[in-house]
Amino acid sequence: MKKRIWFLGLVPVLALLCLVVSAGRAAAAAPSGDELALDPAWKAPDQEAARERAREVVPFVDAVVDECQLCRQQRLRDMGLGVKDIVHSYFLLDSPVIKQREDHYGPVRFMHTKHAAQIQDCAVCHHARPADKAAKETVRCSACHQESFRADTPDRLGLKAAYHQQCIACHRDEAKGPMDCAGCHPKNVPDHKELVKLPANPQPWDVTAECLRCHPGAGEDMLASSHWLWRGHSAYTLDHQKKVIHGKGTTAINNF
Amino acid sequence: MSPISNEARCTSCHAGYGWKDNTFDFTDATRIDCLVCHDTTGTYKKAPPGAGMPDPKVDLVKVAQNVGHSSRKTCGECHFNGGGAEAVKHSDMSRQLLQPERACDVHMGGYDMQCAECHTTRNHRIPGRSSSVPVVEGALDCQDCHGAKPHYGNDILDHHLNRHCENIGCNTCHSPVYAKCKPTKVWWDWSKAGDKNRKPQKDKYGMGDYDPMKGEFVWAESAKPVYRWHGGFFKRVFIGDRIDLEAGVTNIAEPVGSFVDPNSKIEPFKIMKGVQPADAKYGYLLVPHLFPRDKEDKTAYWKHYDWQKAITDGMQAAGLPYSGDYRWVETWMYWGVDHEVMPAGMALSCVQCHESLSGERTCDRCHQDSREVNFKQVAHKGTDFSWMVQQGRDVSHLVGTTDYIDFKALGYKGDPIVYGGRFKKLPMGYKPASAP
Repeated sequence: MKKRIWFLGLVPVLALLCLVVSAGRAAAAAPSGDELALDPAWKAPDQEAARERAREVVPFVDAVVDECQLCRQQRLRDMGLGVKDIVHSYFLLDSPVIKQREDHYGPVRFMHTKHAAQIQDCAVCHHARPADKAAKETVRCSACHQESFRADTPDRLGLKAAYHQQCIACHRDEAKGPMDCAGCHPKNVPDHKELVKLPANPQPWDVTAECLRCHPGAGEDMLASSHWLWRGHSAYTLDHQKKVIHGKGTTAINNF
Repeated sequence: MSPISNEARCTSCHAGYGWKDNTFDFTDATRIDCLVCHDTTGTYKKAPPGAGMPDPKVDLVKVAQNVGHSSRKTCGECHFNGGGAEAVKHSDMSRQLLQPERACDVHMGGYDMQCAECHTTRNHRIPGRSSSVPVVEGALDCQDCHGAKPHYGNDILDHHLNRHCENIGCNTCHSPVYAKCKPTKVWWDWSKAGDKNRKPQKDKYGMGDYDPMKGEFVWAESAKPVYRWHGGFFKRVFIGDRIDLEAGVTNIAEPVGSFVDPNSKIEPFKIMKGVQPADAKYGYLLVPHLFPRDKEDKTAYWKHYDWQKAITDGMQAAGLPYSGDYRWVETWMYWGVDHEVMPAGMALSCVQCHESLSGERTCDRCHQDSREVNFKQVAHKGTDFSWMVQQGRDVSHLVGTTDYIDFKALGYKGDPIVYGGRFKKLPMGYKPASAP
């Protein structure tokens, strides 16, 4: 409590300091805050294209060719199918089919060409071809895997299960790539409007205390982090690999 | 320079509230500033000289009720503005990255990636090896996502580019110029500070060359990096480390690596050069007190323009003796060019470095001529900077150049296609480089 009183006394001093200094420096250091007008319509083109593809629900493929995986692998190789034939190198794994049931996680960024180049076997993921002779040899996951337990194809995995079984099983078998949820997905942050309870015009540390009410572990983690301490392990600094004292707040110096 | 004795200004980029001097309590979790990283409204702001306190105008309840993941906006609030303004420190990060063009940064501009998607955070530990500060909470590499053979096609060019990855960092080819969206500071001479009558002149980029509080500057835009062998480690000078005052230049941070070290790769750097004070007797770099603590402050350089007072105060705060004599020394810092990766088509072409491919003979120096592959086309695939010139970038002097990364400076006898590589003799046709 004593500490808080001490700190409150500091606030007017700091506020005054802000005024004095900002008046004196207005011309010298225009804060970079507002000079770049942000365009609310800005979009990243590759991401937008992938988002567009993820919104599509393609016609359901109800029948596929009965073919062993090795047969299919050999056949695709005989056809000369490979990385060079890839149309879209990047996908967002997301679909209205999954969204209609749940929405806890954001879409997965999937580097199609990278995976294809590493695996060098299209048939691993594109494991069945549509029975329709006019259809393309390889189709996207969501052409065959849509809602689970469909009456016409009760034995076929739903899209979410198909993604998870394919990705996680391969990452496990190859000992490569993430296997935890957050390794692939961004987790949706729950709406905090009802969760956060604060008086009007709170002090900044009242906000922090409110955050810590539900996230005490995050506070403990933060107290040991470099963004808090401005010092820490210097594992990649010659002659100082074992030191934990160095940092901007202690020993570092620069020419800025 | 250092935040020590200047806390109230510098800690406006601290993820906390009230670090105004060395009495700050680092065990008090209520002083953590959660909002500066987790704001999604774009309205949260720290008051620059307020020791990390938020701007009183910020609606804290609204910000707290809309918290979410960190973003380019929240990270950039500090990391795009280091050194007092946009792009001053980092040559590869600026506010342009809030909404970058695809050609400027393919990850952020093409795929809208946020910082923490590469700097994947666990327990508030954020990986990434900075060149400028020693603290590290984990390593991070392009190849973590792209794999050790990131050129995914199966053709002759991909094969050679994948081999290059054993010796060359990605951004050597994929970010051939730095500060490609916004000029960055490359020279800062503190010894020239203090002339209140000197009017700043604008350079060709519209950037000022002088500030009486700070000294003289030079800016660079779309500049060619320097290339050095780097094995991941840095050599650093810390406060109190003795330097050679007669050396001409002191490297505060320089990459560790060499031509004969298999772990080293050629990587691009911006060198930040400057002039700053050192103790003429004790031989270490000095910490001046720049930013006034309060109205009564008697020593701050930015109030009194007196280096002697400023250094005496700063060194007392740093807990190191000051002999009373300072002198100006030139210092360099190597800053890695790690961001602003350009789209694949804008990477350096083979001929941009390999002069031996610029004439009539190209891949057929080693390979039999093949009708399926147009060797000349392969050797020239990539940027020759003419597109960037069209975009108004200051790179016209780079068009048509070769030996871009300067092989001799890196320890080669010349173009490795002719003289051989680091560890292997060329398989066909030529005598080894070491032969008499």
